[in-house]
Amino acid sequence: MTAGSAGSAGFAEVRDELRAVARDLLGKAGPQAGIDWRLLAGAGWLGLEVPAALGGADATFAEVAVIVQEMGRAAARCPYLGGIVLGVGTLILLEPGPGRDRLLRQAAAGDAVPAAALTDGEQDLLSAGGIPFRLERSAGGLWLHGRAAFTPDAADASRLLLLAAGPDGTPVIADLDPQAAGLSVIAQPVLDETRRFGLVTADGVAVPAASVRRFAGDPAAAVRRLLDRAAVAVAVDSLGLSEAMLDATVAYARVREQFGRPIGSFQAVKHACADMLVQVSVARELVAAAVHQLAAGHPGDPEATVAASMAKSYTCAAAVAVTGKAMQLHGGMGYTWESGIHAYLKRATLNRSLYGSPAAHRRQLAARYR
Amino acid sequence: MSASAEDLEEFRAHVRRWCRAHVPKGWRRAQTGVPEEEYVAFQRAWFAELRRAGFAVPHWPAEWGGGMSAAEQVVLYQELAAHDAPRLVLAFVAIHHAAATLLAAGTGEQRRRHLPAILDGEIWVQGFSEPGAGSDLASLATTARRDGDGYVVNGQKLWASGAAHADWCLLLARTDPAAPKRRGISYFLLDMRTPGIDVRPVRQATGEWHFCEVFLTDVVIPAGQLVGPENGGWAVAQATLAAERGMTMLELAERLGHAGFGWLVQACSRPGPGGRRPLDDGLVADRLAGLETEISGLRALCRRLAEDHDAGVAGPADASVVKLYYSELLQRLTDFGAEVAGLAGHTQLQKPASSGWESGAWVLDFLGSWEWTIPGGTSEIQRTIIGERGLGLPREPAAPR
Repeated sequence: MTAGSAGSAGFAEVRDELRAVARDLLGKAGPQAGIDWRLLAGAGWLGLEVPAALGGADATFAEVAVIVQEMGRAAARCPYLGGIVLGVGTLILLEPGPGRDRLLRQAAAGDAVPAAALTDGEQDLLSAGGIPFRLERSAGGLWLHGRAAFTPDAADASRLLLLAAGPDGTPVIADLDPQAAGLSVIAQPVLDETRRFGLVTADGVAVPAASVRRFAGDPAAAVRRLLDRAAVAVAVDSLGLSEAMLDATVAYARVREQFGRPIGSFQAVKHACADMLVQVSVARELVAAAVHQLAAGHPGDPEATVAASMAKSYTCAAAVAVTGKAMQLHGGMGYTWESGIHAYLKRATLNRSLYGSPAAHRRQLAARYR
Repeated sequence: MSASAEDLEEFRAHVRRWCRAHVPKGWRRAQTGVPEEEYVAFQRAWFAELRRAGFAVPHWPAEWGGGMSAAEQVVLYQELAAHDAPRLVLAFVAIHHAAATLLAAGTGEQRRRHLPAILDGEIWVQGFSEPGAGSDLASLATTARRDGDGYVVNGQKLWASGAAHADWCLLLARTDPAAPKRRGISYFLLDMRTPGIDVRPVRQATGEWHFCEVFLTDVVIPAGQLVGPENGGWAVAQATLAAERGMTMLELAERLGHAGFGWLVQACSRPGPGGRRPLDDGLVADRLAGLETEISGLRALCRRLAEDHDAGVAGPADASVVKLYYSELLQRLTDFGAEVAGLAGHTQLQKPASSGWESGAWVLDFLGSWEWTIPGGTSEIQRTIIGERGLGLPREPAAPR
């Protein structure tokens, strides 16, 4: 398979099948359930983008996005974002080599979970110098300094891939054991219980030269691509959240009766559901365009970044509106813990802030008008 | 999609060359404030020009002179918009609604009679709404009584856009007053030269006179001009309305993306009083980026609808989603344009005839946007259709009568 074939009809069928299997598997696990990582490895979801020679499926980001969307739909609790979307996503952009290849093979098999630390939480992703770590050369070798807050799944990771500026300023990846001396990962509990974040701090970590991994192509383009991946993956997750909440709300409005008839027959409710569908439909198109760009285009294509910012800003804002409206239309029941809608609203609200707010992404889009 | 990426780029180059040679220079200025006859002549000439190039009815089947894929249509509309070509306003109902009706439900003879004539410039008007039948279209009261080889029609139509210049009318009339309201309606092709038709223009919010009232007094329609079965007109009308709601948007969305948004960015880049550009304000830049994002979503939705429609897999409310989203996005965009244009925008008393819905005369464009949120099923009706047909929500209980 080549990346260019990502849009072909044959792969559309593969994705449809993948989607059906994922919905079934995640549906059986139940909403907001923890997912058995071995099960995901067995299903082949961990190595979708890993080369076949390393035990993967040789697929593209478009297939990964199918799983991410279904995980959003289920508000699933597992380290797929940190370990696969970003961890494996980082590894495949690196120069091949024994160390990288071994880790990719382990990640695909579920034997290792590599988490990538790409940004320092709230900092503006788009500003220059946003690289969270730096490697300094001094007597005896390379030393790593820096911090990255809100690193997805860092606390569950068996390897940490830290985006760092090398001694000459070139972006590289420091591939480290979380137990390395001077490196700390502190869990950052958040209201959304389906997500786990860690604050990764490096305070003079000795880094062997063999642990410094270079990007295969233009490093700046690779970093840009990683940030776009992160933004689009979160948008895809928010699309899944929105779809689930639209479905749940429509199902509820069909059967819940007040004033002697289903509440869905009242225009106030019906029209609100129609608006949710319109928002979801627009989000789906923007997300599809961005996923296609990332799956088929080459790193460094500015159109991919434009599509990513559009998908992220629209979809993540819409998901908060849609999940919020779902809570509203479920009435008092929707506000209970038991209904589970709160988990979707929390995850949607968190997604909106993760990897660039809507305003930050729009600022990036607007820079093109000058 | 039939065309390869290379073929599409070749087609784009061809359209570009054609546009550079054929889009009339300076038409905006020339068409601002022109008398009605000049506007009509300009529209007819532009239609003929597009027809000679094979660009007038790209969405029609190949056997009738169209046959472009959705991807090719997108390219055509992008380039026409990017070269600021005039829009086809007068022919709009003919090439979209009349053609869709004839192709969906017309007889072979009706198609042979009218589709080539439309290419030769036959102008059509839609005779659906009435003073008492707007959103509740099925309550229409115009009657058509069977009389020998024809029908005798009496009643009044309203909001017939362009009726003053129309050769033919798509007419809905009640043929069975005793039947439940949707079941007693028939669909006719009415020759506007028939005796008994009185057309009176209605002035609209923008000050223009495009809409008309049409009074029908003992108008005789030959039975051969019935479309579909007698009393089966409601289903035929749905096909026509779906065309208006969905397929026409492909062109409008590309125009919004390739012309309208560009006009807006230009307006935001022009120094205002004190030399400051609106774009230097972060809030303005933010709203522009939000609108660009939404236009991208709309364009993708329209393209998806066109492809799904061609493949026969479009959902029952997909066209309503597109119509609702386009019309409300147009309203938000022109509203913002009016805000950015400021008081100077209010001094633009006329917009160029033959221009798009976002002509750059922002206050007039903003007013004109209600011409999309009201006709063809109001936004409220679209939301009801989306809720009921798209999402399967229960219908409102019928009011006791």
